[in-house]
Amino acid sequence: MRRGSILQLVVIGVIAGAIAGAVAYFVPWLPKPATLEAERIDWVFWFVTIICIVIFALVSAVIVYSVIKFRVPPDDDTDGPPIHGHTGLEILWTAVPALLVTAIGVFSAIVLAKNDNLGKHPLHIDVIAQQFAWSFKYPESNGLASTELRLPVHRSVQLRIRALDVLHSFWVPQFGQKQDAVPGQVTTLHITPTRVGRFPIKCTELCGLGHAFMRATAIVMPAAEYDAWASKQGQAQSTGGADAGKAIFDSNGCAACHTLKGPERPAKVGPDLDRLPAFAKGPGQTLDAFIRESIVKPDAYVEKGYPPNVMPKTFGSSLSSKQLDALVKYLVASTRGGGA
Amino acid sequence: MSETAVGHQQELRHDAHGGPPPVRGWRHLIAPGFVRALWMAPLFFGIGAGIVVLARLWGGWHPYWNWWIVITVGALTAAPIGFLAGIGNFDYWVRYAIGSPTRPEDHSGHGAYSWRDYFRVNTDHKVIGMQYLVTTIFFLLAGGMLAMLVRAELAKPGMQFFDNQTYNGLFSVHASLMIFLFVIPAFAGLANFAVPLMLGAPDMAFPRLNALSFWLLPIAGTMMLASFLCPGGPFANGWTNYAPLSTHQPLGTVFFSMAVQWAGASSIMTALNFLVTIITMRAPGLTFWRLPLLVWANFTTSLLVVIATPFIAGSQFFVMFDRIMHTHFFDPSQGGYVLGYQHIFWFYSHPAVYIMMLPGFGIASEVISVFSRKPIFGYRLMAVSLMAILVLGFSVWAHHMFVSGMAPWLRVPMMITTLLIAVPTGVKVFSWLATIWEGKLHLRTPMLWALGFVSMFLIGGLSGVMLGAVPIDIHVSDTYFIVAHIHYVLFGGSLFTIFAGIYYWFPKMTGRMYNEKLGKLHFWLTFVGFNATFFPMHWLGTDGMARRYSDYEPKYAALNMFISIASFGLGASTIVFLYNMITSLRSGPPAPGNPWRALTLEWQVTSPPPIFNFDEIPQVVGGPYEYGVPGARHAVLNGDRAAVAEGEEVRVH
Repeated sequence: MRRGSILQLVVIGVIAGAIAGAVAYFVPWLPKPATLEAERIDWVFWFVTIICIVIFALVSAVIVYSVIKFRVPPDDDTDGPPIHGHTGLEILWTAVPALLVTAIGVFSAIVLAKNDNLGKHPLHIDVIAQQFAWSFKYPESNGLASTELRLPVHRSVQLRIRALDVLHSFWVPQFGQKQDAVPGQVTTLHITPTRVGRFPIKCTELCGLGHAFMRATAIVMPAAEYDAWASKQGQAQSTGGADAGKAIFDSNGCAACHTLKGPERPAKVGPDLDRLPAFAKGPGQTLDAFIRESIVKPDAYVEKGYPPNVMPKTFGSSLSSKQLDALVKYLVASTRGGGA
Repeated sequence: MSETAVGHQQELRHDAHGGPPPVRGWRHLIAPGFVRALWMAPLFFGIGAGIVVLARLWGGWHPYWNWWIVITVGALTAAPIGFLAGIGNFDYWVRYAIGSPTRPEDHSGHGAYSWRDYFRVNTDHKVIGMQYLVTTIFFLLAGGMLAMLVRAELAKPGMQFFDNQTYNGLFSVHASLMIFLFVIPAFAGLANFAVPLMLGAPDMAFPRLNALSFWLLPIAGTMMLASFLCPGGPFANGWTNYAPLSTHQPLGTVFFSMAVQWAGASSIMTALNFLVTIITMRAPGLTFWRLPLLVWANFTTSLLVVIATPFIAGSQFFVMFDRIMHTHFFDPSQGGYVLGYQHIFWFYSHPAVYIMMLPGFGIASEVISVFSRKPIFGYRLMAVSLMAILVLGFSVWAHHMFVSGMAPWLRVPMMITTLLIAVPTGVKVFSWLATIWEGKLHLRTPMLWALGFVSMFLIGGLSGVMLGAVPIDIHVSDTYFIVAHIHYVLFGGSLFTIFAGIYYWFPKMTGRMYNEKLGKLHFWLTFVGFNATFFPMHWLGTDGMARRYSDYEPKYAALNMFISIASFGLGASTIVFLYNMITSLRSGPPAPGNPWRALTLEWQVTSPPPIFNFDEIPQVVGGPYEYGVPGARHAVLNGDRAAVAEGEEVRVH
């Protein structure tokens, strides 16, 4: 190879690398991390990306250069030089990628080990996934439950994830970490939030027709605010009273599929609960009995236009009879007034 | 007798391939064909349904007539066998088994003399290759239309055209058709045509098995499309059909599970056929180290298929057993193991990725060497790297499961093997680059597709390395980054090489040249449309858009609209391809025997090839890619042999 052609090749490579580099640099690829773990994942991401850009620049330089330089007119019947191989080159391009992927592997394994390290006193929170709702329980705050995940900032948290029906997956893009929820198994996810804010929780494992709507919110709060929230909420839920039914409605994820009281958060997977009195006329039951049956045995009567086998059949066993009474009472009270 | 032996032989062949005697009147009912299939399929459905009812009567299970089970056993299992028997796939074997005189060419003559012959059971590998390609292109169009519907729904946030279940069905059927009825069988079709020719063989080792493997495909494809007619909608669990969602979903799911059985059986039979053909039917002198790389690629692919495909069959049987036989493979409350499904499924479906890629490597090697006018750089290492991918491919399945909740210790070993696969794959890319280096490049349409493949597959390979690194994978699992990655490897990789292969062998298959300008237009439209559609998906994924979502946050609206518009352009580029194929087939200029001046054996015969490929068995004397080597030959055929015998110097490599 002449010196001139090496120069041209290098120039093309630099241009290709610069374009790829600009795409990598100017596009905001990753969300701003909100956990220590996501920060480490970002490091691996950029380490691998830089290697990829170098290889991309090299290969595209050779292709572009060859297409420009070695192209011949259609009537050129000659053949190229009969080069069958070059052992040195072949060893080189086997060994160099092997070294690169080894480096990637070592870096990844270290980050993985660090990200899985819970530290001394992690906070445990239970995550329950079911079609198509998330709920969270805080065993260290007297069984407090919520449908939005509240986390104290700068504290190592282990989520213990359960699935009640099919596979789901817990993901907050800003947290980086992701973990499937598997029926019959408790899986865990470790995060250490680093900044206060509200972040979207998404289900990322196809779980049925409401999959795209199986979302919730994670709220990272300053430690003191978190403690205050936990003690206040804990008292409200344990005393019960007038709000007990509403608390059960909220903490069991009913609103993920059903709309209740206006368009605040229209959910369309299941029937609109504001129209319960109208639906009850279908099977001709009293409103109270109809609501109770629909919670415990959802497929006994399915409103027209909605498929069967969607609503979990687990509420009959997961709710105590006291809780069920409170929930039915709450639904009757809130629909009889404004319903159809 | 004045006839020479050769002349006599040829005449016999002409008698033999005249096809079956014409069928008239009521005899249509018992002669092999669609008329017989029309009554045999319902008959077998009845038999299947009868077995179900009798078994339920005997067991005392109510109700005796259960539609789910009757459909599964009668319509999806028994009726297809009736259809296959009706069109005549089993005639020869049945006659042989019951001791009747067999008719070697009774219904399955070699060659095709009118378009009708392509709709009959035919044992000619060239006809079967065409049947495969036309069928798979049909399913490419069907799958592509579904993708357009998916993109239409995703153009704006919120729900536009479909409900969630239908949307889930659209992308599930799209993926299943593209994987099981386009990429895998399209490669099998190209290889069906090319491999026996490249080996110097008159046909595949088992021509009747070959015909049967083809006829399973329309069954599988019809089944997948027919799931749209099911009560409850089509199967909507993604092409991965993960349990326990799949054991609870409506009837459509069974259509997926059974279609995979039929397509899988087709794959396995074809793979066995390729293995035996390649091992036993190579022309004299054609040693393994002289095989064209396409043959090597199909040899390794067939090994993958034979070893891996039974696993997906097993996974789908387990799902169906859970659904209709009250087993509990994936029901944890009864001791089932949910992750077991994923382990079994990916033990097939990761090797399946290589089943969908290695034949493409083979096609790229053929095309790049021929249109660079240079030998393949590092031929032996190219073949060895195929074998390395084959072996490593079986040790990486759990990299699809890094976030699945499997044993955590399994992640690092699986990451190491996954990253190692980049090494043999890199060897192949660098060898292609070294092959075009200092070559005499002819940028004809097949070459454009092959170079497009190398650059697009490079991007897919690099994003694959990123996915191999566990921490990155944890972040981008089940996001649009995955969607981008698989389309860069399966569209930019597999589909680009399938197009390269179709354009490359089009003259050989049809005897006509395609339109070069339209071919290049097709390439550039696809190349631009493809990148505009799929590259932005990387960003969507890393930023946080989950896959399989019918609705998304408004902040992704602009990018999704852009992607949807680009994808419609990409879809429209197919029209150029179809127009080119149809007009060239009807009125393209006649193709010479060897328009590309290639050395491999299929180009040494007429276009299209004679009915039994070679009038005389060729003698292979050298490697397949000896471009630029003075006086080198890959094989000597027919009259040349005399010249060789008389001492003409032939360089042997």
